[in-house]
Amino acid sequence: MSAIQNDVAKPQNIKPWGINWKPMIIGLLVITAIMVSARWYQQFAAWEYGLDASDPIFDATWMKIFWAQLVIEPILFVVFVGYLWLTRDKHLNNLSRREELNKMMFWISMLVVYAFSFYFAGSFYAEQDAAWHQVVVRDTSFTPSHIFLFYMCMPVFIIIGFSLFFYAITRLPFFAEKLSVPLLLVVCGPFMLLPTVGYNEWGHAFWLMEEYFTVPLHWGFVFFGWSIIALGGVVVQILTYLTSDLLPAVFNEKGELTS
Amino acid sequence: MSLTADEARLLKAISVPKSDAQKVVRTLDWIVVVILLFAVTAAFHIHFMLTAGDWDFWVDWKDRMYWVTLTPMILVIVPAALSYPLMHRFGLPIAGTVCGICLALGEWISRISGFHLWSYFPYSMVWPAIVIPGLMLMDLFYMLFRNVFLTTIFGGASVALAFAPANWIILAPYHVPVVYLEQLISVADLIGYTFTRTATPEYLRFIERGTLRTFGGESTLISTFFSAFVCMILFYMWWRIGQFLSNLGTIPNQLKTMVGLEADKDED
Repeated sequence: MSAIQNDVAKPQNIKPWGINWKPMIIGLLVITAIMVSARWYQQFAAWEYGLDASDPIFDATWMKIFWAQLVIEPILFVVFVGYLWLTRDKHLNNLSRREELNKMMFWISMLVVYAFSFYFAGSFYAEQDAAWHQVVVRDTSFTPSHIFLFYMCMPVFIIIGFSLFFYAITRLPFFAEKLSVPLLLVVCGPFMLLPTVGYNEWGHAFWLMEEYFTVPLHWGFVFFGWSIIALGGVVVQILTYLTSDLLPAVFNEKGELTS
Repeated sequence: MSLTADEARLLKAISVPKSDAQKVVRTLDWIVVVILLFAVTAAFHIHFMLTAGDWDFWVDWKDRMYWVTLTPMILVIVPAALSYPLMHRFGLPIAGTVCGICLALGEWISRISGFHLWSYFPYSMVWPAIVIPGLMLMDLFYMLFRNVFLTTIFGGASVALAFAPANWIILAPYHVPVVYLEQLISVADLIGYTFTRTATPEYLRFIERGTLRTFGGESTLISTFFSAFVCMILFYMWWRIGQFLSNLGTIPNQLKTMVGLEADKDED
């Protein structure tokens, strides 16, 4: 009898808790490799071959990258988002709380990759664009700066953002039960930066402006950049759910897993 | 605010050293810290560079009333919005300091990589303004008062009041007068003439409206106080916007039946 009570009190078959860091680390390394390579390429080819858009060498060194981006990125978007949708959990109502915790922690760890990719678009390559265009007078919309900022950095974080969104609504009951508005803003707001590029390029071409970085033409980027503030709302929602619902369900008073 | 029974039990669980519960919570803490670091750097930097950037990029633009007036107004916006979730929801009076540090990091990486290594500007020309002291004061007032209205008055204003003094020492050598081509100019202007920015307004047409030299130099003080007034208003406005964005809640998911969840009853 006492043996049975001990078995109940200290279940032996419970796996110790652990988080799979591999996808996050691989994601960070891949993003770093892409961004560092692009920066190296700028150093190599921008001053040498990137000053005159009518030069055939510009076409060979810069426009080929642009066209490659336009082919590769939509394919990656469809592959990632399509995979997550097609392999969705069709019995989310049967998901154990322990498994839910594992998936939630994995998803939160992948937000690091999303934030990291957004850093390159919002900070590193964005301000670099000011340095380049205030020195080199543009003669095309597809400059050595823009080809990586608008057509590489932005699609990269859009692909990651939508992938995370689809992971959330197909594998995490908390986000599948009802759609989180802050999460929608965090994914869709930065996505809107890409359509804003259209207005930006239209304005630069139409008005042939002097390169004043704070011109109202650029404020669309600011407006949609603000949407990342909703990340505070996502954190509030997740932590409220974890502390009031999920964590109390999987831990006992001693801090041990119960399932 | 009282704890529910579940929350009290969880609190007990995570206080057990080296327990699984503690590991989960500590892991979560670190992940959130890293997410905040990258996300705040990106969001605050893009906001700042596209609204106050030109005055921050160049040392010869740091002699304009706009620099002293506009920069604190732009600086207070995102920290005020983040103050709501960080201070009001998590009790962490760190929004201003975090934003200031993230902005400084983002700016320095960009000034080194983009402005210096790629576009060949000297560091003496493109150093970013010092913004952390005013934002730290904002946090300090929030921590002391624990009240939004008092923080609006004192914290919001401190962002502007500390801005010019914080930059005074680093900027002073650039305001030393020199005679160049028989003209009296500042060292900052001389650096600007030497490293031309061929596409900027300063190069295409001469504009120098509202310098800090106007009226014998007291324009700095006037600009600071005007900025402090607007910062108070902006702090409160954006604290409210942060509150709004943090409490947006949820909307029905029309696709939930496709992942095995029951449809909402009112959908019928």
